[in-house]
Amino acid sequence: MEKQLEALKQSFCEELGQAHRAEDIEPMRVKYLGRKGALTSILRQMGSLGPEERPRIGALSNKLKGFIEQALADKLDEFKRASATGGIDVTLPGRTPRRGGIHIINSVISELEDIFMSLGFTIASGPEVEDDYHNFEALNIPEHHPARDMQDTFYFDKGILLRTHTSPVQIRVMEKTGLPVRIIAPGKVYRCDSDVTHTPMFHQIEGLWVEEGITLAHLKGVLYEFIHRLFGTDVPLRFRPSFFPFTEPSAEVDIGCIMCRGKGCRVCGNSGWLEILGSGMVDPNVYQYVDIDPESVTGFAFGLGIERIAMLKYGIDDIRLFYENDLRFLSQFA
Amino acid sequence: MKLGYKWIIEYLDIRREAHEAADALTMSGTEVEGIIHETIPREVVCARLIEVKQHPDADKLKVCTVDTGSETLQVVCGAPNCREGMLSAFAPIGTDLGPGMKVKKAKIRGVESFGVLVSERELGLTDDHTGIMEIEADLKPGDVLVDALDLEDWVFEINVTPNRGDCLSVIGIARELSAVFGAELKRPGLSLIETDPPAAERLRVEIMDTDACPRYAARVLQDVKIGKSPFTMRRRLFQAGVRAISNIVDVTNYVMLEYGQPLHAFDASFIAGHGIVVRKARDGQIFTTLDSVERRLGPDDLLICDRQKPIALAGVMGGENSEVKDTTADVVLESAFFDPVGIRRTSKGLNLPTEASYRFERGIDPGIQAEAATRAAHLMQKLAGARVLKGVVDVNHLDLKPRPITLRKSYLSRVLGMDKIDDREVEAILTRLGFVLAGAEHGWTVGSPAFRHDVTREIDLVEEFIRVFGMDKIRAELPAFRPVISPVEKLGFDTLRTAISAMGYTEVITYSFISPKWNTFFKEQALELINPISDEMKVMRPSLIPGLAMAAGRNKSLQRRDMSLFEIGTCFLPMEKGRLPHERIRLGAVLTGQREETHWSGKARDVDFYDMKGLAEALLPGLSARPSEHSFYKPGHQADIHLDDRVIGHMGALSEDILAMLDIIDEVYAMEVDTDAVLKKTFQGVQEIPRFPVTWRDLSLVADEGVGYSDISRTIRGLKIRELRLITAVDLYTGEKLGPGKKGITIRLTYQSDTRTLEDSIINKWQDKVIQSLSSELGIELRQ
Repeated sequence: MEKQLEALKQSFCEELGQAHRAEDIEPMRVKYLGRKGALTSILRQMGSLGPEERPRIGALSNKLKGFIEQALADKLDEFKRASATGGIDVTLPGRTPRRGGIHIINSVISELEDIFMSLGFTIASGPEVEDDYHNFEALNIPEHHPARDMQDTFYFDKGILLRTHTSPVQIRVMEKTGLPVRIIAPGKVYRCDSDVTHTPMFHQIEGLWVEEGITLAHLKGVLYEFIHRLFGTDVPLRFRPSFFPFTEPSAEVDIGCIMCRGKGCRVCGNSGWLEILGSGMVDPNVYQYVDIDPESVTGFAFGLGIERIAMLKYGIDDIRLFYENDLRFLSQFA
Repeated sequence: MKLGYKWIIEYLDIRREAHEAADALTMSGTEVEGIIHETIPREVVCARLIEVKQHPDADKLKVCTVDTGSETLQVVCGAPNCREGMLSAFAPIGTDLGPGMKVKKAKIRGVESFGVLVSERELGLTDDHTGIMEIEADLKPGDVLVDALDLEDWVFEINVTPNRGDCLSVIGIARELSAVFGAELKRPGLSLIETDPPAAERLRVEIMDTDACPRYAARVLQDVKIGKSPFTMRRRLFQAGVRAISNIVDVTNYVMLEYGQPLHAFDASFIAGHGIVVRKARDGQIFTTLDSVERRLGPDDLLICDRQKPIALAGVMGGENSEVKDTTADVVLESAFFDPVGIRRTSKGLNLPTEASYRFERGIDPGIQAEAATRAAHLMQKLAGARVLKGVVDVNHLDLKPRPITLRKSYLSRVLGMDKIDDREVEAILTRLGFVLAGAEHGWTVGSPAFRHDVTREIDLVEEFIRVFGMDKIRAELPAFRPVISPVEKLGFDTLRTAISAMGYTEVITYSFISPKWNTFFKEQALELINPISDEMKVMRPSLIPGLAMAAGRNKSLQRRDMSLFEIGTCFLPMEKGRLPHERIRLGAVLTGQREETHWSGKARDVDFYDMKGLAEALLPGLSARPSEHSFYKPGHQADIHLDDRVIGHMGALSEDILAMLDIIDEVYAMEVDTDAVLKKTFQGVQEIPRFPVTWRDLSLVADEGVGYSDISRTIRGLKIRELRLITAVDLYTGEKLGPGKKGITIRLTYQSDTRTLEDSIINKWQDKVIQSLSSELGIELRQ
């Protein structure tokens, strides 16, 4: 029997030498190790052996079984490797689909919208070509008031202009829908101005919350929440009293400079603070323009420039880059 | 507005660092935008010129012997005012007077000079460079000038908001600081020796238009000696950005800065008939202001006249014919109150903004005219030896009855959201700001001072309180709310942007205004700006195509050949005059260059019309394209996009004219559609997935060239075979084999039934029907 095992090993080795494909391996395993295989049939003869021979032959046949199993596995591996090296050059470049992308300004708008929606605001919009009434008068900015100097306006015919801020949406929304009002209004605005820090067209987002019981404390609460979600919870805010014709009291909101963490740098003009938005409690005069009794409600409004936020968030120092549409710039945000 | 800090605190009893005061102003609503620290080197000392001799080799130079307190030095000096005995400023060798101005030992035309005598301008104190500094004060040689003359100062650049005309003055700013720091406000000196005759005997004032000029006060001064103003006054004017001219003119400016009351001094000898008449100009009247510019006036412009002629443009600028000169002896001093709107109209209309008009526009204190005139007279008497005639000529039509405002404690809390507000705090703050408070039920009755014409309502008082109290002391509180779900429109646009960018398109944002040269390509007359920033940005875009084409052109010029861009933005379609235009949000795209990146596996092909159309089809399933004739596209390479029998956009190859205009060599394809159509939701519920197999058959057809693919598909669909699910074109060719005027087209018809597996016999029947109708209706034959 020992010779039989020896012969089996030899024939296995010869056959294995002739195997050329991975597909040849499984039949060989069946042939030699299967239930009706060669090794099994030899072992069936074990009964004829004497008790002193059995353990030795048993050990020998186990050893052969292990040898065959290992040899088959090794061969299979070899085939797998071979098929790889004989295949294609996987290092050649693939066919990459072209990557597009959303304009950085619209991404920022979308991010701000998401924050404010989670704070209960819905989204409103209004026309970009506005009338004097909605852009100025109903916002408590009468003709011949020096407050008009705050914004350089593009005009068409008399009384028709490009909106200088998103604030007219406040008026349009209050005219149309009843109370309470809780909206933000992102959009394009226009001013006759063009240099490193000004483009004649830019984007703002307006916020308005009018409801019984709304206070300056609530304005602070909403703006803290907004800034902290946008720039991180460790960013300090300060409310600096200011003047806007359509809010009173009014405040400019500064945040601790996110570039230098308030130490003072070029971006913040060494003040440690960055002016980021204007805000205030809706002026009672505005309610009168939209037929709301100022004694019945209170509310707050705020507005901020999208470009400013984008420039701070991404460290962009020239506002004109947004509108030159140079793909080398735009694709950095794709 | 710029003001020196030392001037401000002259009227205030506080000891605070300049920066602390600036922060306090900023945080109470008067923003200090910048602080300029001014000082001079400590080496600069007071020196006496003991001896002044002519330089041996230079006519214009003097050789001075100078006592610097510690030593006697020889200094060469070219100043015309240098004379024996005078006190001046001396900078010894080694003094750093600024960039490139370090004092060195020098030999000037052979004479050694051990230091320099310096002018006020060289020390950065004023812009006076007519000679070396004259020290009027009682100093001795060797005194360190910065200490002896108290020269260190901080210039505040203050941004006064348009509602706070009262803050456009030293007193106004000092009052703010007094409220914040709880300090006493002091008043300027007004003492005066008046002489007979009464001023009213020498000047009659007549106001023809009391709306435009409700108050005109004047003083008459005689025998003034015109000269240079003292150093401190000139320095303060310089810090404020006002040029020093002469003592009389300087005093008018100085008091304007102190009180916020613009003043004007006339040379009385040029006032005919001892009379002032305030009246409106005639239309087209010409008047020469003291800047020697002839100005054409209108009937709304207000003039100050004498008995014969205009002598000043009221509230804006004096006239050349009556200005104070070196020879002036008698002066009429004007201190008036003009209607803010009128002054603003004139100043805007003539494009002539002045320090005076700026203040009148914002509303000056209507109660201060006489006092300001007296303060100026006080200074003119002190500095120019003026004889001040008795009394102020004061024609006053102002009605200054204070209208009391009720301030409720409940209202304060309702607006501010503060639970506990200390009554005494409210009273202290408002009182220090100049308000008069009387206790009332549930609050106060408050009287506003005349200079606070901006405070007329309860809410104004709330603001006054909180801006000084400090907004930072209010706690932030999030109101109760319900988060909202994304509105359909936002979702739509966000999804659209994401989808198109995933297809390889990069979003651009182009300006809403474009050049009028694009007008030729569009039917609609574009809306035109009256005051564009440039000719290239003059009309509102009726279409996104120009902006996108320019963006493509720009990137082409930056060596980018392949690109796909899109924009979602508003287009403007004008309405009749006086009405707002239609605004349509459109989606546009341009495509140019290679279809895909250059790749080793094959030659990349350039994009064509069908790439552009493919984007449209992906966004608008079910669209149909019909040949169009837009002049911005190439003839025969363009189509209108129809959906549900409505034209919703167009697509095509940009015209040769546009490519030439933008200097583009390659073909550029573009499309534009209304976003309404793209965003319209077509989802109509889940359809059952068919259980039976599909079968398809190809038909190779030969058609006349004039037959369009849409004719073929329409004819087949006209047969209304319910099981015909899809018609696709799988091949298209032209060639000699077909003969002239013919084209070959292979179409694939896909059949499927909801209820059974289709047998060949039935499909064959349908195929025959298709072939027959194509043949009879379009003359199409099967290809042999």
